[in-house]
Amino acid sequence: MPDRNVNINEDVVAEPDVVIKTEGLQKNFGELRVLNEIDLEIRKSEVVCIIGPSGSGKSTLLRCIAFLEEYSEGRVFIEGKLLGYKVVHGTLVRESQSNINKVRRNVGMVFQQFNLWPHMTVLRNVTDALRVVKKMDRREAERIGLETLRKVGMEDKARYYPAQISGGQQQRAAIARALAMKPNVMLVDEPTSALDPELVGEVLQVIQDLASEGMTMAIVSHEMGFAANVADRVLFLDEGRIVEHGDPAQIFKNPQSQRLIQFLDTWKSREL
Amino acid sequence: MDFDMIARYAPLLLQGLWATIYITALASVIAIGLGLAVSLLNATPFRAMRWLCRIYIEAMRGTPILIILFIIYYGGPSIGFTFDAEPTGIIGLGIYGGGYFAEIFRAGFQSIPEGHIEAAQMLGIPKSRIITRIKIPQMLTLIIPPVTNQVILLLKESAVLSIITVAELTKNTTGMVAETFAVVEPYVIVALLYWAVVESISFLGRYLERKISYA
Amino acid sequence: MDFIRIITNHYDALLTGAMMTALISGISICLGMVLGLNLAFGLISKHWPIQRFCAGYRSLLRGTPMLVQLFIVFYLLPKIGLDVPSIVAAIIALTMNTTAFQAEIYRGGLLTIPPGQVEAARMLGIKTQTIRIRIIIPQLFRLVLPSLVNETIAILKNSSLISVIAVTELMRTGQQIVAVTFRPLEVYIIAAGIYLTMNISLAKLGSFAEGRLAIGTRS
Repeated sequence: MPDRNVNINEDVVAEPDVVIKTEGLQKNFGELRVLNEIDLEIRKSEVVCIIGPSGSGKSTLLRCIAFLEEYSEGRVFIEGKLLGYKVVHGTLVRESQSNINKVRRNVGMVFQQFNLWPHMTVLRNVTDALRVVKKMDRREAERIGLETLRKVGMEDKARYYPAQISGGQQQRAAIARALAMKPNVMLVDEPTSALDPELVGEVLQVIQDLASEGMTMAIVSHEMGFAANVADRVLFLDEGRIVEHGDPAQIFKNPQSQRLIQFLDTWKSREL
Repeated sequence: MDFDMIARYAPLLLQGLWATIYITALASVIAIGLGLAVSLLNATPFRAMRWLCRIYIEAMRGTPILIILFIIYYGGPSIGFTFDAEPTGIIGLGIYGGGYFAEIFRAGFQSIPEGHIEAAQMLGIPKSRIITRIKIPQMLTLIIPPVTNQVILLLKESAVLSIITVAELTKNTTGMVAETFAVVEPYVIVALLYWAVVESISFLGRYLERKISYA
Repeated sequence: MDFIRIITNHYDALLTGAMMTALISGISICLGMVLGLNLAFGLISKHWPIQRFCAGYRSLLRGTPMLVQLFIVFYLLPKIGLDVPSIVAAIIALTMNTTAFQAEIYRGGLLTIPPGQVEAARMLGIKTQTIRIRIIIPQLFRLVLPSLVNETIAILKNSSLISVIAVTELMRTGQQIVAVTFRPLEVYIIAAGIYLTMNISLAKLGSFAEGRLAIGTRS
């Protein structure tokens, strides 16, 4: 539970442009502090890439923003609204599931393990939320579903089951599933880490297209070249803190902190 | 809750509990022996033998214990088998359990990694030694959970012996109920007694597992 | 050995008994499925009191003999004002029993479903109850079908016990025929054969269903 004694400003964050904002975000696993004093802002149409070594807390950060994990201290705002908790007499109280869903409505997520539902076809994976959450009828949902699948190049696989398509195709289908709900921001958690190398490109291309269309995104990735191309800003996370941040040129060509320099070095030596 | 009544009948119930325990133990021994024998016979190259084993196993797994007991107890005399209720019960439970144990041993033998056996073969260890020094010891660790489970099952099924008048825990409880007209309490107490024994066996099983495993 | 004569003279009684057995078992299993699923979700609940209660129920029902459970239900119901026919008491007892066993089966299955699938559903805004019905349960049955078939067979065998509270299913029918023919060996062997037939058919049906359900999951 976030610190109850801190004076909570009850006002909604007023800047309309800020889609995601965290203040003093902290996550503890028992004694271990996984996230420490994370303050960040992501504005509309910005693409922010989060890089860092394993165990730096990158995925945890994204999952806390998504409220798939509860954070220990601090606050997360989605489109100006506090996520996960509400203010009651000056302290934070956990929100009900339906209110969490409301604030989180316009956030889409793409997972490292794709997480497609294996007993449904690709099309049904994409349309199920449209039918169940947005209460669309089947025809309308399928129309939007096929359109979205077309966008990611998966239209011809609509009637296939996840087990029958490749990893890259599954991930693209998963992206379509998130897109079909017309989110305002996409959280992308290591989209290609579980893929065979030759399948990585097709997924990165889809994400790049989304970025150039103006989708607000927070991407955790190991693909440095991709980050350099696509990101407006790069955050370097190490041991739970944002050690350095800036635009790709600064971060990759002109790293300032020792940790970042070391990190990029190990990366360069791997990229033989 | 009439504590006086419970105190008066405690000896009867404890006697029944003891009977249940030794009946289950004896039946388990019979069942394990039978099961082991059948699982080994089932692995022989003789098709007729394997067929017979299969029939036995499927018959035990597909028929209620009550019928098996009735066949032996009420039907036995017509072909010369006349036993008292208790030996019938023990033998019946043992034969019934044998089918299940045969399956447990079969699965146990099968789940030993083939690689271990191949390694032994490559080292020139003779087949009989492979069975005694590698297969059986490894299998023992693997099968402790299902064996414990099956013994617990036999314990619970032993209650059915009361129907052919064996004086175990459930029968004695029925006797107590007939005399006192307190219907629910005795069975509830007895249920808890069974439960306590079951939990003890589970606990023992987990302890054995830990002692024998190499982790 | 008058097997043939007994079967021809009494086959209608045997058939009725067998159908009664099948009916009572079937009802108990279906009720057990609904209750068992709920119990399974209770077993993995993060709400401590619920979890403890469900675990306690499961432990008691799995750790005590079916016969004793039957007696408790049979004698308890009139005491709390429910004067129901034996058959209802039998179904209640069998259902309570299978609920605990099925819950454990479902719980095992629930644990193997990757949590990421639930997370993806949550991020799309799907409600918990809907997630259970549309995403978890459809996968669950494919996973647990073999164990479920075993449990069905177990209930069918357990149903023979309800003969002691005077329900006329297959076992009791057998006893009645013995009273008329004085041929316990043959009659009970025939009854055993009928149980065996039912159970083997169930097992075969289960394998068939397993095969058909696996069609969508070629991996």
